[in-house]
Amino acid sequence: MVLLKRAALLALLLALVFGTVELLPGDAATATSERGESAADLAARRALLGLDRPLLERFRDWMTGLPTGDLGTSARGEKVTDLLSTAFPNTLLLGGIALLLTALVSLTLGCWAALRPGGRLDRAVSATATAVLALPEFVVAVALVLVLSLWTGWLPAVTLADADGTPASWDMLVLPALALTLPQAGWNIRIVRAALADEARAPHVETAVLDGLPPHRVLTHHVLPGALPAIAAGLATSTGMLLGGAVVVETIFNYPGIGSVLASAVSDRDSPVIAGVTALSGAVITGVLLLADLVRDLVTGVRR
Amino acid sequence: MTVKAALRIAPALLLIGLALLGPWIAPNAVDAPVTAPYATPDSAAALGGDQLGRDVLSRLLAGGRDLVLSSLLVAVLVTGTAAVLGAIGAVRPLVGRLVERTADVLMLLPAVLGILLVTLSWPDGGRLAVIAAAVVLGVPYAVRLAASAATPIAEAGYVEAAAAGGERLWYLVVREILPNLRATLLALFGLRFVAAVYLVATAGFLQVGPQPPAADWALMIRENSSGLLLNPWSVVAPSIAIGLLALSVNLAAATLAPQTGRKAVTVL
Repeated sequence: MVLLKRAALLALLLALVFGTVELLPGDAATATSERGESAADLAARRALLGLDRPLLERFRDWMTGLPTGDLGTSARGEKVTDLLSTAFPNTLLLGGIALLLTALVSLTLGCWAALRPGGRLDRAVSATATAVLALPEFVVAVALVLVLSLWTGWLPAVTLADADGTPASWDMLVLPALALTLPQAGWNIRIVRAALADEARAPHVETAVLDGLPPHRVLTHHVLPGALPAIAAGLATSTGMLLGGAVVVETIFNYPGIGSVLASAVSDRDSPVIAGVTALSGAVITGVLLLADLVRDLVTGVRR
Repeated sequence: MTVKAALRIAPALLLIGLALLGPWIAPNAVDAPVTAPYATPDSAAALGGDQLGRDVLSRLLAGGRDLVLSSLLVAVLVTGTAAVLGAIGAVRPLVGRLVERTADVLMLLPAVLGILLVTLSWPDGGRLAVIAAAVVLGVPYAVRLAASAATPIAEAGYVEAAAAGGERLWYLVVREILPNLRATLLALFGLRFVAAVYLVATAGFLQVGPQPPAADWALMIRENSSGLLLNPWSVVAPSIAIGLLALSVNLAAATLAPQTGRKAVTVL
């Protein structure tokens, strides 16, 4: 049931993406046209890219192609799938590491702060979290490169790719992942903190405290389980921010992900590529939201 | 408003004021070289030169106005749209569900990708395309908060009495519900301004907003990144400017948020 609903939402998003690309002025054929090209040349390429066919027919083709892994053709006539086949997994790797780090950092700091509500540590963590959550990733990235790479020389400032298109060594992932993690961690620390505070008011937690259980045991066994659905939902919302932020961070570090593909798509005004990336990201976010639904069902199931 | 609250809002107002007035107090032209490319700070240019030898300080002073104005416009439009949609949804549950579903769909679209999608499909849109995309992508998050604040008001006796008295939907929304949402909407405006600064700056960095030779903080960071070692100020100064703007506006937004509404935390 939940699965069906999520799938329907994703399908609607894909329709919306297609509609945006089609209904706004400008198309792939004019975007890549060179100066001095005649109207006949333009029409020929439009026919080649299949842009002269009726809108509904193209929409049907694009949508039916998606489940089979066909994302359409870029403005330069390449398969979008080929463009993304190594880049998207690289971005998923970077985003996955950042999501994992975000979860670890926000859970640790959020729980640590919650042990002494209103204490000095709690206030320091909350203030820092509020401060960093609004920073754009590229500002964080500039600061990180300056301090951890150019001044101290600890980490490489750019990512070099192997022959197979993956990053050459693990330390090249550190700075991009950190630049993505910091703002999202700030965001999620606040969600963890708020969820724990809400749950701490529940009657069963009060009982556990009155039973004389040590604070950390109350936290891990009585407060945290009930707060998990809200925390999982927060992390799921971060997935979209991480994928979007990855595009930005990758261009700074020259990381071989969708960021570099999108950068050339930007100069070509290549909307089919963007539509393909958006479709893939929407699918990933839908998957993560399903996981969050699963966590919620598990927790409420145990409660029942 | 207490003195403490005023002190927390002051930095944001000061910075916004400076960004708006900046173009008039810039000592040099923003589009003509005054020194060598990536020259270090000297008497000709207090923060050195950028990749074409243009004055970094002047470009810094001039480069914030459009970012601030666009973000303000986006925040006003998003807050207004969300308030009206949220209030209508609270009075008419059917509309409310429709708005909720649409928001669910749009939330699957990462904001940065959404802004790329719109600006590339609409190549002549320029700043208008960025603003339009930021509004469309911001409303789904804002409408949740507006709807949850409007629902209890719509169920209040005086609104039900007005509805039973045959008042039109428009009257209920504009005269009965929206005036009671002031505090929530002010907080929402702050949050949306923070989000808009993030989106508009990121669009500038991805080169889909302002185009060279325009002076723009985000574009300056992108253009001068290869000279980070030669004249760090060409990149660090605009980074600090965007960072400070984001931090101070965020501080002000956190101050404006009603203390009881911790739910406000989950909206950006």
